[in-house]
Amino acid sequence: MTALWDTSGSAVIKALSAERRAAGSVSSGLALTLVAVVDEKLVAEAEQAATAAAAQHPCRLLIVVRRRPDAPEPRLDAEVSVGGRLGPGEAIVMRMYGRLSLHAESVVLPLLAPDAPVVTWWFGEPPHLIAHDPLGVIADRRITDTAASTDPLAALRMRADDYAPGDTDLAWTRTTLWRSLCASAFDSLIGDVRSVTVTGEASNPSRTLLAGWLGRRLDLSVGVEDSAGPGVTGVTMKVGDDTVTISRTDGSTAILSRTGQPDRNLPLPRRELGDLLAEELRRLDADEVYAESLETFSGLTDLSARPNRRLHVWQDPMEASDPDPALTTS
Amino acid sequence: MSNPLRDPRDRRLPKVPGPCALVVFGVTGDLARKKLIPAVYDLANRGLLPPGFVLLGFARRDWGDGDFEQIAKEAAKKGARTGWREEVWQRIAEATKFLPGSFDDDDAFDQLAAMLKDLDASHGTGGNAAFYLSIPPNAFPTVLKQMERTGMADNVQTNSWRRVVVEKPFGHDLASAIELNGLVDDVFTADDVFRIDHYLGKETVQNLLALRFANELFEPIWNSHHIDSVQITMAEDVGIGTRAGFYEGTGAARDVLQNHLLQLLALTAMDEPVQFDAAALRAEKIKVLDAVRLPKDLASYAVRGQYDQGWLAGERVNGYQAEENVAAGSTTETFAAVRLDVDTRRWAGVPFYLRTGKRLPRRVTEIGIVFKKAPHLPFSKSDTEELGANQLVVRVQPDEGVTLRFGSKVPGTTMEVRDVAMDFLYGEAFTENSPEAYERLLLDVLLGDAALFPRNEEVEASWRIIDPIEELWASGGEPELYRAGEWGPKGADEMLARDGRTWRRP
Repeated sequence: MTALWDTSGSAVIKALSAERRAAGSVSSGLALTLVAVVDEKLVAEAEQAATAAAAQHPCRLLIVVRRRPDAPEPRLDAEVSVGGRLGPGEAIVMRMYGRLSLHAESVVLPLLAPDAPVVTWWFGEPPHLIAHDPLGVIADRRITDTAASTDPLAALRMRADDYAPGDTDLAWTRTTLWRSLCASAFDSLIGDVRSVTVTGEASNPSRTLLAGWLGRRLDLSVGVEDSAGPGVTGVTMKVGDDTVTISRTDGSTAILSRTGQPDRNLPLPRRELGDLLAEELRRLDADEVYAESLETFSGLTDLSARPNRRLHVWQDPMEASDPDPALTTS
Repeated sequence: MSNPLRDPRDRRLPKVPGPCALVVFGVTGDLARKKLIPAVYDLANRGLLPPGFVLLGFARRDWGDGDFEQIAKEAAKKGARTGWREEVWQRIAEATKFLPGSFDDDDAFDQLAAMLKDLDASHGTGGNAAFYLSIPPNAFPTVLKQMERTGMADNVQTNSWRRVVVEKPFGHDLASAIELNGLVDDVFTADDVFRIDHYLGKETVQNLLALRFANELFEPIWNSHHIDSVQITMAEDVGIGTRAGFYEGTGAARDVLQNHLLQLLALTAMDEPVQFDAAALRAEKIKVLDAVRLPKDLASYAVRGQYDQGWLAGERVNGYQAEENVAAGSTTETFAAVRLDVDTRRWAGVPFYLRTGKRLPRRVTEIGIVFKKAPHLPFSKSDTEELGANQLVVRVQPDEGVTLRFGSKVPGTTMEVRDVAMDFLYGEAFTENSPEAYERLLLDVLLGDAALFPRNEEVEASWRIIDPIEELWASGGEPELYRAGEWGPKGADEMLARDGRTWRRP
C-alpha cells in the first residue's frame, strides 16, 4: 500500500503502476472500473461493500471522498493498494479538498481501466441531477440508493425525472428476490389476475418499485398497504380461484401460503450492501424493466427512449440555493 | 399461457425450476455425499430451488427421515461452496425424505410411487420428479425395471414430468451401450434421459463455445489452413486409490477417453450450431464424432501405458500392479494416447492427439491448439531460433482460462524473437467462484435443459471410435510401463516424434 499526502493525479498514476508491478499482476483481466462517491463518515462501510463486490467482479476500485469544498486550498490525498486490504483487485481511495472536489474527474479520468465500462455509485444521499456530477457523466452505468435518502419517495421521483438508460437504483436491486418468488409462484397459477397487493413500510422505495413492476407486468393497479416493516413485508396475489401470499415480517424468512396447499418457509433475507452491488455489476446494459417500473410509479413515459449520455451541467454548490448532495459531502 | 412476470429482458430474475422432487438412488454413496447434496444446498442458497422442492433419498439403510437429514446436513456443510446459512438448510430439512429399501424390493418401489403422489399434496411438488441413479451400472436394469413396473417413469401416466439422470460409464463397449440406452430409453422417453458428463458442466467448456462463436478473432483461423495440430490432455496426479474393482475392467481409454476427451474434441472441432440449444449442439457434435477416423497404422498411433512405482510431488508411490486388489500381471492401461483425424474439409490433415493418464506430474485438463508457423519470416534464421509455433490453450482445470502464446521481440539492440504468453484467468475477470459443475448440471436437469448432456447417439458414436482400439489392445501385448511422476510412457513421445511434433508440457 502507498499513501500519498497532498499529492497530484500523476503521482497517483505512478504509484498505481508501481504497486501493480510489485504485486506481479501486470496483465490482469480487469472487466470494469467502479467509482464510488462516498461521504467521509461512510468510507469504511463503502469500502467493505465494494470489496465484497470486487471479490465477485474483479475491478479497479476508485473511492472518491469530496471534502470541504469551501477549503481555501485544493488538495488531494490518496491511498493506493493492489491486492491489499481492499480485496484482490486494484483500489485507490482519494480525498479531494476545496475546489478540486468539483473537478474530481480530472483525477479520475486517467485512472480508468482502458476501454472497460465505468460504473459510478453514490453511497449516501443520491444526486438531484446526475448531470451535476462529472463522475456520473463519464459513467456507463450509474447506481444510486434512494433508500439512503432522507425522503426516499421524493428521491425516487427525482430518479424518474432524471432517468437516462444505464441508471439503476439499489432500491430496485432489493426487489430481485421478491420478484423472483412472485414469478415462481406465477408459474403454476392459472386464470385471470383479480387483485395484487404489496405491503411494506410507507416510505420504502422498494415497495413502490415492486408494486410498479407488478402493475406494469400484470396490467392492473396494484394496491399498497402500510406495515411496520422491515422493508417490504408481503405480496398477495389473487389469481383465478387461488390466493397466494408471500409474507416476511422478520426480514429473513418468508412464508408462502397458497389456497389448498400447506404453508412453506423460504429463505428471503435482506441482503448485504456488497451483495446488492455485486448484482448490479453483473449486467452492464440498461435495465428497461427498472425504467418501466419507474414509469408506472411516476406516470412519465418513454424513459428508455431518452439518450443514454448526459451533458455535464455546471453547479457551484457554494453559490447554488439548493446545492446537489452529490457535490456537498462532508 | 406464458407467465406475465417473466420477461426475457428481465435478466436479474434467475431461471428457477418448477416444483419437483429429486429422488437419489444410492444416496449413501461417495458421489451423493461429496457432490450431489452440497450442490443441492448451494442451489438453495442461491435461491435457485423452487418452493415446492423435495429431496428424497433411497438406499438400503435402516434410517428414518431424521437420520438421513442429519447425514445430508453434515455432507452439505462439508462440501458446500457457498457460505453456510442455517435457515437455508432448515428449509431443505423440512423437505427431506428417506425411503429404505433394496432395488429388488417390489414393496419399496410401490411405496416410492405412492410417495411421489403424496408429495404433491404435502409439499406441492406437482408430482414432478427427477431420478438420480447414483448406483453401480449392474444395478441399472433392476432399478429401471422397477420404475417401469410401477409406471413412475411415465410422463403421461403420472401427468407430470419424470426425468432420469445417469452417471458414466455409459456401457463398456458399443454393444453394451446400445443395450443400456435401449433399456433407459424404453422406460423413459429419450428427451427425459440426462447423461452426466461433469466436464461439460465446467464453465470453461461453455466458454470454449463463447470464445469460438462470439468472437470474430478466432473462428476464421479455426481450420486446417492455420492449425497444425490439436492436443487434448487430461492428466491426473492421483492413482486409482481404492477403485481397483472398477478400474481393472475399465482402463483409461474407457474411463476418460471415450467420454470426456471425445466430448472436448467434438466441442473443439464442431461447426457453429444453428442456435445455442440442445438439438443444434448435438447435431454438430454428432457430425464431428461420425467424421472421426482412426489411423490406418493403429498399433503405432494408439499408445497405452501403466504406471510403475516412482516419486510424485515429493512422495514415494506404488506402481499400478502393487495397488490394492490389482491382479499381478494386469494389462489394464492407466495411460492412453491416440491420434485421431477428423475427415472434414475444415480439419483435413490436422491430427488430434488425445492423452489421459494417472500418476502424471500434475492434475490438469487443457485443449492446446497449435498453429502453423508463419509461411515466411523476414528475419534471419538466428533471430527466430527461439520462436515456436503460436498456441492457443484453453485450460479446463485448474485455473480455468485461456493462454495465447506468440512471438515477441526481446528488448535490446538485436532483433531476437522469443515466445511469450498472454494469460487470461477466468476467475480474475469474473466471479471468484463459478458454480460447481454438478450444481450447474443439476439445475439444468430440473429445468429440463439438455444442452450440456450427451445423448445416446453421441455415446454410441464415441464407442464406435474406442472399440477398435480396445480390440487391438485385447488381442495381445501389454501396456508400456512409465514411472509415476513423469508425462507417460516413451511410446507417447515417439508417436508424436514420428509426426515431427512434441507434446506440450501442460
